[in-house]
Amino acid sequence: MSIDPRKLVSINGIARRDFLLRGSGLVSAAFLAACDSSGPKSAEKLLRYAERKNLVIERKLFRHTSMDVVQAGAHDAGNKLPSYFVSETVPVWDESVRGKWALEVSGLVGNPMKLTLVDLQKLPRVSNRVNHYCVEGWNAIETWTGVPFAELARVVRPAPEAQFVDFQSFDDDYHESWDIESAMHPQTVVAYGLDGKMLEPAHGAPARVFSPVKLGYKNTKYLTKIVFMPRMNGGYWTDRGYEWYGGT
Amino acid sequence: MAAKRHHWIVRVTHWVNVVAIIIMVGSGLQIFNAYPAFARKGELFCCYPFEHKAVPAWLTFGGWLAGARNWHFAMMWVLVVNGLVYLTFIYLHGEWRDLVPRKGDIRDSWQMVKFYTFRRKDHPHQGKNNALQKTAYFLLPIFGMLAVLTGLAIWKPVQLAPLTALFGGYVWARYWHFIAMLAIVILSVGHVFMVFAVDPYSIKSMITGNYDPSLSPEARNARPFYHLFPRRARITPAPPPESM
Repeated sequence: MSIDPRKLVSINGIARRDFLLRGSGLVSAAFLAACDSSGPKSAEKLLRYAERKNLVIERKLFRHTSMDVVQAGAHDAGNKLPSYFVSETVPVWDESVRGKWALEVSGLVGNPMKLTLVDLQKLPRVSNRVNHYCVEGWNAIETWTGVPFAELARVVRPAPEAQFVDFQSFDDDYHESWDIESAMHPQTVVAYGLDGKMLEPAHGAPARVFSPVKLGYKNTKYLTKIVFMPRMNGGYWTDRGYEWYGGT
Repeated sequence: MAAKRHHWIVRVTHWVNVVAIIIMVGSGLQIFNAYPAFARKGELFCCYPFEHKAVPAWLTFGGWLAGARNWHFAMMWVLVVNGLVYLTFIYLHGEWRDLVPRKGDIRDSWQMVKFYTFRRKDHPHQGKNNALQKTAYFLLPIFGMLAVLTGLAIWKPVQLAPLTALFGGYVWARYWHFIAMLAIVILSVGHVFMVFAVDPYSIKSMITGNYDPSLSPEARNARPFYHLFPRRARITPAPPPESM
């Protein structure tokens, strides 16, 4: 359900840049040359510094006992998600080309394994009706069914120095790395079901990570690999300017 | 004759606030434009007439969603720390007494409105600020605090769930955040307009701290765009001397 901020780049970034260049002549052009429409370049360092400080505060604030609660009377989003969130070509796992899909759980773990969809379904299962918080500002009520991440971790036995987790997909180079505590939150699941049905390709089939404690873009769809790591490993949107933590 | 009007802490926090508010509003509107509506997916929202209409790009700052978010989450600390410095100072130094609402403020405000609309001839007597200014300068920090608290509520809807619930949940907290911003913008635009239309001499006082009371709006009997320049004592030419 990661929305497609790729489109936002083109809509809000390029269009705005065109508008500014065409509309306001030399002054804007000179300003843009120095500032690139997103503020002075020299501020970049300061913004990165603020992000690092925010990260420390956000991780200190984080509690496993803080749960996302769906407001009484709130309606399920169903398929009323924004029209632009599904890209034109939905990544689909083609068994005839790639063989049977399996989720690799590896890295700093005592018991690395490859899990098929059937294997995943045999593990303890939860259904969480939770909020999906999008980086764009909207939220949606969805019910995610799958294996609690903490259960999966119990099976693969991560080493104490595995403080980060990378969720990797077969959707090109899409991946996002998380802090371990967010991954271990009770509402974080490796999901294969949405709203009572098996996950569809548009929503990340066969399996994806989902948690209300992270913004949509952190919740990698089309999972192939979960890697426990000693350090953070950026991510698709993180490397393109969105904050790494992306936590709620 | 110039009198000290603004302590340097007030002057510094004022101008820091100008920068912080402009960047917070601009980047906030850029973030808002990523989803310029309040309705939760699958629902409708009662109380915003412009659902799904983006605000004009020239009002935004940050270039794109990620850029604006980075600015917003950096500048918010400047806004908060600056606000705390200002509030602590006016509390310790006593300036808060000039701003807290008092009995008679409504009556005095009404007199100001009557004066500005030419239904009253002379400028009502005032202290440091007139009653309308007082109200605006009292409300601005209130809406500032509302903006900060609702901002925290939508930044951390899970970790600060009780705060988010206090504002009616995520959707409503986001709405109140927008309303607080709107109130701050309206007060600020009104403030800047009145500075230029009624009391441009106060700009100097917010830079150097000095204010010439003989140039005050009360002394000039100034309404918006009326009596902008100080009244000069009428010079009556001396009668020609009697011929010798």
